Amino acid sequence: MDQVLQALVNGLLLGGFYAVMVLGFSVIWGVMGIINLAHGEYLMIGAYLGWGLFRYFGMDPFAALLLILPLMFLFGYVLQYVLINRIVERPHLMSLLITFGISIALANLFKILFTSDPRNVSVTYNGSVELLGITFPIVKSIIFGAALLCMLGLHLFLQRSRMGKSIRAAAQNRTAARIVGMDINRTYAVTAGICIAITAAAGAMLSPTQAIFPFMGPPLTLKAYTITALGGLGRIPGALMGGVVLGVTETMVSRFVPGIGTNLGVAISFVILVLILILRPQGLLGGLRPVDPEAE
Amino acid sequence: MKIKINELSAMSYRLGALNMRFIRMLVLVVLVALAGCSAIPTPEVREDVSSETSTEDGAAADVIRIGAAVSETGKYSREGRDTRQGYGTWLEWVNNEYGGIDVAGKRYQVELVMYDDEGDPDTVARLVEQLISEDRVDFLLGPYSSSLTQSASAISEKYDKIMVEGNGASESLFERGFRNLFAVLTPAGNYTQSALKMLAEQGAQSVVIAYEDTAFPTSVAEGAQRWAKAYGLEVLGVETYPRDVADVSGIMAKFKEVEPDIFVGGGHFNDAILFIRAAKELDFNPKAMVITVGPSNPKLVQEVGADAEYVIGPTQWEASMSYEDEYFGTAAEYAARYEAQWSEPPTYQAAESTATALALHLAIEAAGALDTNSVRNALRELDVVTFYGPINFDETGKNASKPMGAIQVQDGEILVVAPGHAAVSELRYPAPDWKDR
Repeated sequence: MDQVLQALVNGLLLGGFYAVMVLGFSVIWGVMGIINLAHGEYLMIGAYLGWGLFRYFGMDPFAALLLILPLMFLFGYVLQYVLINRIVERPHLMSLLITFGISIALANLFKILFTSDPRNVSVTYNGSVELLGITFPIVKSIIFGAALLCMLGLHLFLQRSRMGKSIRAAAQNRTAARIVGMDINRTYAVTAGICIAITAAAGAMLSPTQAIFPFMGPPLTLKAYTITALGGLGRIPGALMGGVVLGVTETMVSRFVPGIGTNLGVAISFVILVLILILRPQGLLGGLRPVDPEAE
Repeated sequence: MKIKINELSAMSYRLGALNMRFIRMLVLVVLVALAGCSAIPTPEVREDVSSETSTEDGAAADVIRIGAAVSETGKYSREGRDTRQGYGTWLEWVNNEYGGIDVAGKRYQVELVMYDDEGDPDTVARLVEQLISEDRVDFLLGPYSSSLTQSASAISEKYDKIMVEGNGASESLFERGFRNLFAVLTPAGNYTQSALKMLAEQGAQSVVIAYEDTAFPTSVAEGAQRWAKAYGLEVLGVETYPRDVADVSGIMAKFKEVEPDIFVGGGHFNDAILFIRAAKELDFNPKAMVITVGPSNPKLVQEVGADAEYVIGPTQWEASMSYEDEYFGTAAEYAARYEAQWSEPPTYQAAESTATALALHLAIEAAGALDTNSVRNALRELDVVTFYGPINFDETGKNASKPMGAIQVQDGEILVVAPGHAAVSELRYPAPDWKDR
């Protein structure tokens, strides 16, 4: 029983991280209809920021979030305004090409800046706490907490604030939103800013648990794609659900299947994906569905 | 007239649509062209002495031409640089200090032709073909990594050219019946041998093994199981994981239950970080952790910090080892020479590359001829001890005589603890629990 509980805890913690990692990807896809292939690179930038602030200024990666969030919001806002807004209403191929281009450019830029030597942040409190016979990894528990906070914040913002309502409106019907006088470009830029800031924050949280290197992005983008398809587009409970389902499945399978468990866990997540696409194409919890077919 | 205008506007409309499509096509074409550009052969790096005498048949008077395709860009750019510099150290020495290779009393200068393989198995095959058929090199040196060596050696075998390599450790390279491939480094299956032997002598009883399911780690793990059996260690669990794994806590949680004395992790640098972090997070306390690739690299200690303490790693070579030869002197003297030339200390990848070139050099001298058959026979007969360790190829071309060293991270330093004659420090065993560190 203890083993099952332990695996469940590990799976939940992994799932919490998956959820915050995927938020930005899911909301950008849901609101703008863009599959952001540079998503993993934004995580990579966040991880490098976390590492750099730790290495050169001695900042704790979680405290550094206060700096990383506004910085990356600005980055996302400008990137969206200058580049992505131009192709949002073009055929899908264009946004795939441009985000793919951004991902290659960023990965190679970081290779030039930091070489391909892997980095890692070594915080002093990365041990474990034992509670009721279950081992809680400290860093991953903090990540889980921070992830929940991020999700709650974004959820409240989207549901309650005026800007959040504009974002949802733009997602539902771009034309109607224009007709009532919304500045779509600005709405999109704010959306991208928030999404990229949260993504980079997730990257920074990742920095004490994994190796950071310029080409770490693409597998994370793939994972984000899977989770989004699982949970549904642009919905925060959906992202949490998708992340947790994937995290718990992977951990449970790798814990209880001998030999090939970890491999099988990853494979099973894709089996689940295929099943969901067949049985519930809108995702486990449904999602933001654009009303006008053009925005699809 | 009216009709004409209509036609015109319709035409211009069509033109507009065409234009849009044309632009899209153009973007695609440019992208494809850009992608293609990166595959165009990059300018070759010639670190030669003088090549004006080279003639069509390549066996020009007084010059031996040696070719190699080694990564300068791509995912192996770091290790590729070590390999290039290792070859360069030998080249500088043989031409300027040693006075050229002595073939039956006649001195030959060496010309080294190197290309950038970009870490791509197809590119490396194409470049090796080019080295053989266009540059007419006499011999080949290997690229960096098992997978690139796999593809490069297939071409050299086809043309019946000798390839000596020092950066492809996977055993599968030598199970293909090739006659012309020789490797100076210890094969992957033996990576954990000296570490497991030493730990068994210290009283360890059981071992668990986790490895990435790709060529090199698989060889390492199969070897580890073999050696565990040989030294009487009980194997309590074997787990594989995929490339790009994000989390190994499932594996580590499982291993924690069986309480093994030794954890063996076969993988690459990033996996070493994952293993160490996950072990600490889950409070998994094996008495020793043996992890490939990561620990022998100072970068691991730099990034992971104190948690890397007590970790044991296999190493092909360290400057503190007690090998020596009449060419480069002791291992330490080699390291000093290398640092003087390249202003950074040699990694083991650099040292094994120099040893690769030296092995070819010694075989040519022993053969007293430049033809493939004579040199192949001389390589098979070769039995020397160099600054890098003993070199003695078995019938498949592996250097089975060289033992693998083991290092342990002690107080932030990487110190050789095995084999006995090369050790500079005592093994610290058992490692204390995470809580007591």
